[in-house]
Amino acid sequence: MNKSEFIEALRAKLSALPKEDAQERLHFYREMIEDRMEEGLSEGEAVSAVGNLDEISAEIVAEFSRDKTEEMIREEIETENAKEKKARRHMRAGEIFLLVLGAPLWITILIAVFAVVLSLYVSLWAVIISLWAVGCAVALTSLGCIMAGIGFALGGFTVTSVATFGASLIVAGVSVLLFVLSTAATKCAWFLTKIIFVRCKKSSQRKVKHNG
Amino acid sequence: MDVQLKRGLLDVCVLAAIKNEDSYGYKIIKDVKPYFELSESTLYTILKRLETANMLTVCTAEHGGRLRKYYHITKAGLGRIEDFKDEWREVMLMYQFIIKESAEV
Repeated sequence: MNKSEFIEALRAKLSALPKEDAQERLHFYREMIEDRMEEGLSEGEAVSAVGNLDEISAEIVAEFSRDKTEEMIREEIETENAKEKKARRHMRAGEIFLLVLGAPLWITILIAVFAVVLSLYVSLWAVIISLWAVGCAVALTSLGCIMAGIGFALGGFTVTSVATFGASLIVAGVSVLLFVLSTAATKCAWFLTKIIFVRCKKSSQRKVKHNG
Repeated sequence: MDVQLKRGLLDVCVLAAIKNEDSYGYKIIKDVKPYFELSESTLYTILKRLETANMLTVCTAEHGGRLRKYYHITKAGLGRIEDFKDEWREVMLMYQFIIKESAEV
């Protein structure tokens, strides 16, 4: 088979393809045959080196239909994506609009919640501080009672002095109880503070990681 | 081999074949022959695809009294080769891992 016979046979086999496309492919094969002939092959050798006509045409038609199918699928996917993107953009715009519109509302609520939490926390420490203060006051009272007891003893009021010493002992006991209580309360509050602090730190780190 | 994967690899092979100097169909086939078999119809499809993707341009020049098509790589085509090299460093590491882990003990 010579070159022009091969080309004509191939042209007949590619009749299903668009004319321009078939023409371009035929040029491509002609060039392939001519390049082989230039290298020293005879016309017949060059034609058979390019390959079996039936195999070539089958391959071309298969590739062509696959490309077409892929193109169609790709186009379909693209239109789907475009639709989805559009919908997503609308939704996001709507969300932002609501956020901005509701800003006076949610900002106030946020501030209120923060203020409530802060006030609860401050009052917790206020209670603890007053516990310590009461403890100190009671301890001082016990000290005062001892001083008064000494005074009564020096003045000769033995019974009163004994009673005062007894009172001082009772008050001292109460103050020790109060100190124990306030120490425990302080420890609890400190523990709570640490937990809150660690939680905040973790969530902020997570946010940073998420953004990055 | 996976069709999509093979096609992607062949695209880069053809780009590499025209990277240093413009080339033509038969020369590309000859250049890759020591490494793998590339049929004319496959090459045609690849060249067409790369042209559509603006990775190469085609110009027709006269040669020995006839016309021959020459393929010239574009910036995008050069970029594709570089991207491929970057991507495949990772793939080669995965390959090494697979070979190492699947070796019989």
